Amino acid sequence: MTMNAVSYGEFSLGLHQQFGDKRTPVDVSIEMTRRCPLECQHCYNNLPMGDLGARNRELSRQEYEAILDELAEMGVIWLLFTGGEIFARKDFLEIYTYAKQKGFLITLFTNGILINEKIADYLVEFPPFAIEITLYGRTRETYEALTQVPGSFNRCMRGIRLLQERGLPLKLKTVGTRVNCHEVIGMREFAEHELGVDFKYESLINPRIDCSQAPLEVRLSPEEVVALDLSWPKLASEYRLLLHQTIGKSVLPSSTVYVCGGGVKSFAIDPYGHMSICVISHQETYDIRSGSVRQGWDQFLFKVRQRERTRPTKCDTCRIQTVCSMCPANGELENGDQESPVSFLCEVAHLRALALGFEIPEHGDCEFCSDNETRKDLRASAARIASREVNPEEWIAPKPLLPVLNNAAASSCGGCGSFH
Amino acid sequence: MQLYVRSESVVSRVIAGETLIIPVRKGVGDLASIYSLNEVASAIWKIITGPRSTDDILHILQEEFAGEPEQIGRDLRAFLDEMSSAGLINEVGVSA
Repeated sequence: MTMNAVSYGEFSLGLHQQFGDKRTPVDVSIEMTRRCPLECQHCYNNLPMGDLGARNRELSRQEYEAILDELAEMGVIWLLFTGGEIFARKDFLEIYTYAKQKGFLITLFTNGILINEKIADYLVEFPPFAIEITLYGRTRETYEALTQVPGSFNRCMRGIRLLQERGLPLKLKTVGTRVNCHEVIGMREFAEHELGVDFKYESLINPRIDCSQAPLEVRLSPEEVVALDLSWPKLASEYRLLLHQTIGKSVLPSSTVYVCGGGVKSFAIDPYGHMSICVISHQETYDIRSGSVRQGWDQFLFKVRQRERTRPTKCDTCRIQTVCSMCPANGELENGDQESPVSFLCEVAHLRALALGFEIPEHGDCEFCSDNETRKDLRASAARIASREVNPEEWIAPKPLLPVLNNAAASSCGGCGSFH
Repeated sequence: MQLYVRSESVVSRVIAGETLIIPVRKGVGDLASIYSLNEVASAIWKIITGPRSTDDILHILQEEFAGEPEQIGRDLRAFLDEMSSAGLINEVGVSA
């Protein structure tokens, strides 16, 4: 045989095995715009569609093409186009097509509401590797309570239908919030059973990247997050397996701040040409407009990635890190400090382990492991989840919430000094 | 003699030293797959940037690779058939 057809999954696995620990960029996330026609209460970065200041600062099509040329030369293979809403840019399909012709394997994140027949037909002609639509509710009332835009539910459903009936590689996902948590199971059933597409969800909401804490107003409590997680047998199994694999093994503290794939295999580019470790990390950015992607990768992100930690934390020897979402970017957004553990995430991880029947080995000065009222409350909460006293299948629609304004004037973490 | 050229609906990239052919438009290859080429196939792929006959390709390959001409010829024809079936190359007419 001289030619070998491999699935994308096999190809990705082979590539990662081949590269091993070598620092080489294969996966890049590009935020096309932060403008979006929706006004979701939980969103970490959306701006109004009519924000001309934001529009004028965005990279031009020509600048995107130059960046894509560089990414191709650097050997990047996987691209994610995200937002804001990608289709808010009138020239998105031109930029997308340019990227396709460079041979990237492209995933699109969209809310689906701007997808029309013309766009759907175009995507049939130039198919993405995957297209993921975020669904904010199973009913119009819930969806629009979160998005705050009348008519948006029907437009999202139309977008889903247009992609689905054309056989495009569609996946659905949602974000569990106080507004829509009672419909997460319904959304999953809609995706998996009615449409036959993959579904995933996330319940961990970040403060806005402009440091506003407003999205946290609709964040689920740790007990609700874990109850929702464990109501999905597939997810519960994944967490159980991760805990089995790691809870008995001692952890060697990392000497560097970052331990993820950011800056090693991946990075992000925001709509204004700033490179960073990932889409939610914004304290340390490199301006591509003043240099090049290659320089940003070779020099700036290399240094960011090498940066040493300044102090020990309770995370150092924690053996439930694999079921915890704590990372420097989350520390940055919530505490204004990359190295400060986020208490909410810590509580979720501890509760997750306890509800699945795991005892957590002590690991330094952790308020959730000390013999105190916090620990007792956590155990009581775990028991309520395990006994299904807290049962997401019985959750009902909440009373209407007052709209939470997404503005920077709301309480902030105080860590936005370097925000661009 | 039949001429072959790369389809405009695919692109090729060299990643980690391996030549990959990636479908860009519908109706070409298997969109759920990516195609990797071995050394000989990569050489053929480089040759057919413009229309080339089997004899043209064979001649260049024989200069680059050791082996029985008959065997190289058989491998080449098998490869061209495979690529053509997958829509990764096009037959563009007949040379004089």
